[in-house]
Amino acid sequence: MAQGTGSVSHLDRHHAHHFKSGHEEFEACKQGMWIFLVTEVLFFSGMFVAYAVLRVFYPDMMHDVHHHKLLDWRMGALNTVVLITSSWTMARAVSSSQRGEQKNTVGFLWATLLLAGVFLVVKYFEYSHKIHEHILPGAQYAYEGLTTAKVPIFMSVYFVMTGIHGLHVVIGMGVIYYLIRRAKRNEFGPRYFTPVEMTGLYWHFVDLVWIYLFPLLYLVG
Amino acid sequence: MSEHHSNEQHHILSNSMAAKIFGALLVLTVVTVWVAQFDLGSLNFAVAMLVASVKATLVCLFFMGLKYDHKENTVIFSTSFIFMIIFMILTFGDLLTRGDVYVKDMSKIIPDGAVAAQTKSKYEKAWVSNPELLAHGKELFAAQCVTCHGAGGAGNGVAAAGLNPKPRNFTVADGWKNGRKASAIYGTLTKGLNSMPAFASLPPDDRWALSHYVRTLGPHESEKDSAEDLKKAGIDASGAGGGSAGEKQIPIDVAIDLMSEKS
Amino acid sequence: MSHSTTAHGDNYLNHSHGLKSWLLTLDHKRIGLMYLFVILAMFLLGGIFALLVRWELFAPGMQFFSSPNTYNQAFTYHGAIMVFMVVIPLIPAAIGNFILPMQIGAKDVAFPRWNLVSYYVYLFGLLIAASTLFINKVDTGWTFYAPYSIRTGTSATLVLMGAFIMGFSSILTGLNFIVSIHKLRAPGLTWDRLPLFLWALYATSIVQVLATPVLAITLLLLILERTIGIGIFDPKLGGDPVLFQHFFWFYSHPAVYIMVLPAMGVISDVIPAFSRKPIFGYKAIAAATFGIALVAFVVWGHHMFVSGQSEFANFVFSFLTMLVAVPTGVKVFSWLATMYKGSLRMDTPMLYAFGFLFVFTIGGLTGVFLAVVSVDVHLTATYFVVAHFHYVMVGGTLLAFLAGLHYWFPKFCGKMYNEGPAKLAAWLIMIGFNVTFFPQFILGVLGMPRRYADYLPQFEQLNRVSTIGSWFLAVGFVLVAWNLAKGLKSGVKSGPNPWGALTLEWQTPSPPPHENFLKEPVVTEGPYEYRGEKALMGSNA
Repeated sequence: MAQGTGSVSHLDRHHAHHFKSGHEEFEACKQGMWIFLVTEVLFFSGMFVAYAVLRVFYPDMMHDVHHHKLLDWRMGALNTVVLITSSWTMARAVSSSQRGEQKNTVGFLWATLLLAGVFLVVKYFEYSHKIHEHILPGAQYAYEGLTTAKVPIFMSVYFVMTGIHGLHVVIGMGVIYYLIRRAKRNEFGPRYFTPVEMTGLYWHFVDLVWIYLFPLLYLVG
Repeated sequence: MSEHHSNEQHHILSNSMAAKIFGALLVLTVVTVWVAQFDLGSLNFAVAMLVASVKATLVCLFFMGLKYDHKENTVIFSTSFIFMIIFMILTFGDLLTRGDVYVKDMSKIIPDGAVAAQTKSKYEKAWVSNPELLAHGKELFAAQCVTCHGAGGAGNGVAAAGLNPKPRNFTVADGWKNGRKASAIYGTLTKGLNSMPAFASLPPDDRWALSHYVRTLGPHESEKDSAEDLKKAGIDASGAGGGSAGEKQIPIDVAIDLMSEKS
Repeated sequence: MSHSTTAHGDNYLNHSHGLKSWLLTLDHKRIGLMYLFVILAMFLLGGIFALLVRWELFAPGMQFFSSPNTYNQAFTYHGAIMVFMVVIPLIPAAIGNFILPMQIGAKDVAFPRWNLVSYYVYLFGLLIAASTLFINKVDTGWTFYAPYSIRTGTSATLVLMGAFIMGFSSILTGLNFIVSIHKLRAPGLTWDRLPLFLWALYATSIVQVLATPVLAITLLLLILERTIGIGIFDPKLGGDPVLFQHFFWFYSHPAVYIMVLPAMGVISDVIPAFSRKPIFGYKAIAAATFGIALVAFVVWGHHMFVSGQSEFANFVFSFLTMLVAVPTGVKVFSWLATMYKGSLRMDTPMLYAFGFLFVFTIGGLTGVFLAVVSVDVHLTATYFVVAHFHYVMVGGTLLAFLAGLHYWFPKFCGKMYNEGPAKLAAWLIMIGFNVTFFPQFILGVLGMPRRYADYLPQFEQLNRVSTIGSWFLAVGFVLVAWNLAKGLKSGVKSGPNPWGALTLEWQTPSPPPHENFLKEPVVTEGPYEYRGEKALMGSNA
């Protein structure tokens, strides 16, 4: 959503022809971003409903999953801390760009990108462990250690939820890298920081989803 | 549409505030992990969701700036949760109430896949009318049949106008395709006839109750069932129980379990 | 009127030249027309499938298709094309894109670039889905019900991906419209002066934004179900196929309102303009629009009365469904009251509006029948349902689209079509439509099931009538196309405002300049302050 128009020339940037002012354009972009986030919530809602079905109808299975430590809560907790930290660095990147502190903007964006990378690495270890043990979704599930009915479906919900979330992280990393390049060219400042703020909203949303995924999947059995 | 030309008026999150929120989020993460170590039963879930929601609110208000933003955006974002809740509530409105109407104790499934109706009859011989069955039949009739057959059974219910052939008029003796014996009416209820759908989902007792009641709506000289008639209806007259020709309908949950067991 | 002629003027059509200037345009008007072009092409394709299906049903036994399987594929394509590629984007993406920014007095939508992206995303999804015509086909019906859609050996995955991708286009369009209406209204265009077409597009956009993502996750899960077997919907793996229906209809029922709300918006604009009277119950119609949009989200279970859904849920959904009739009734009565004692002009758009009122009311009322569980048990999956939703979608949306197309045609190109053939086509379509679909109500009550290539001999007469009706319908559409093409080529100049309408898009030259208005319009009164016949004859605005 962080789209500007045409060429951007440093701080005195021209707003698009159909807006009356840069401020109006900024407000429109931000609202567009919020509406986009609404669609994201509803996109995830399907998975939350699927999860709720398992939770309500097969509490014993959920207990077994928890008891057999199919998911390692320490990994989940580590990633929670990583994402929360990245949310903080993102918030700092946004405020830095609003104040025109170019060095800080670039620095905090790099930090966010790095933390996103850490998140994915942790995720990679989790996934590869599960693939190795055949703790896989649905029909692919072949783990000898736990054969309670519906566990394979729980693993489907786990993989789809975290997979879609992980995809969001990857997309976010691409956008943040693009921002870094623009920030290095000194394109952002007190008069124009729309893309940074929009990416910030997106990134906090990714954090928001994980804030719920962590307890739902890893903690409560 | 204001003319203020100023991103400058935009609220900027102070570094100290950002640090405070960051700290609060970390503390809450520790709290939720810590609480999860104790087994509080269903309270675990509630606490975890409560903590997550506090964290989410902090992120929305401060990191995402909703506290300083137009109310419009708060309304927009909140809408998504309202509709997510609608999605959940109505879906669960189905899932949680599925077992109620279908025969409740249809839990045992015969290995060959046919479903035994494990409906123990309350009556010794449900195919023989008795006042209790008639009273039950009257209730069922009001719930299931009046829409088409009308309150008096004259085939003049509100939905009858749209049906061709017209619903059976129970108050007269002639024209009954399958006859007026209780076993015949039972058969019609089980299999359906023309526009009338099968009511095989009703337990056998209920179908018998309806059959007896429907007979009372018309002239009283209709024939009684012979042993052979009953045999045709799947009843062994010498045995006890409500009798059941194998149920063809099973609850969706049972079907799902069956399919997954078989594969 | 500031400018009565565009002879020397710069307009959006001659502003720049060449194919590239169209394909890469950010101008909402050009994007709207590009949508229109593709959608009409798909309408032709979907229509051909419809004619083949009807031909097959001309008599019992097999007529055209080699096997019932190919018949299944034909009605699947007819349904999927018409729903996802035609009726959903028809009014919002094509007419809405063109008209919305003009009606709010803006130069463009809020995010022109995303608007173009939305178009190409739509086109991309469409091509992926349509490619299955050449690769293995698809035979699930447009509803993709599990578990069949999981098992079928046809290219269901590709079609699901296509629909998934087209969903993004729908979301982007809705998002763009909401922000445009919030942020880009001309000075003086307060919420209570917003044309009802915009209220309708606004409500539609909200529904699109809220419902489409759920379709996306549903289709994604189904794709995963087909590819790796995640088991959420697959009973074989312990999943619940009825849960799929909940997911699917959470989107697809609101989608019905995505189709019909903009249609109601067109009618709300056309009727006062041709009655020369202020609209009756402006606020009531606007509120009813939102009422319908809201209720849209809580009635989906009425598609599932016989699916194994609990009877408690049946009861709740049945009750909620009947609520839809209330705001719909408010609208129909308001339109009738608008016409009451008006100076009616039966130009082509108004003719279609009358057709809409007639046909849509039948479609709506039969919907109430189907909302009654005990009646629905009897009528589910019969031709009664087929007739009902065609009365709503074709009779409702398509007739309103044709009303809108004829109403705004002079604005699109600055030229006028021939009234004679246009009216003849309108009558052909109205008659053809009713002859095609009314017998299907009767067939449904008699118990003819839908989705079969063959039927019992006693249904032959009515099916024959229905098939003959479909030919009339086809001739009507061809006539519309021919007449509009002729108007485009050699129609007389229409002037800026041939109907004497008061909404903003008519207060600028036709075709409109590149930036819509020569100077920013200022709104001083409501959109329907018509004052009798005179306004039409004399100078307007």
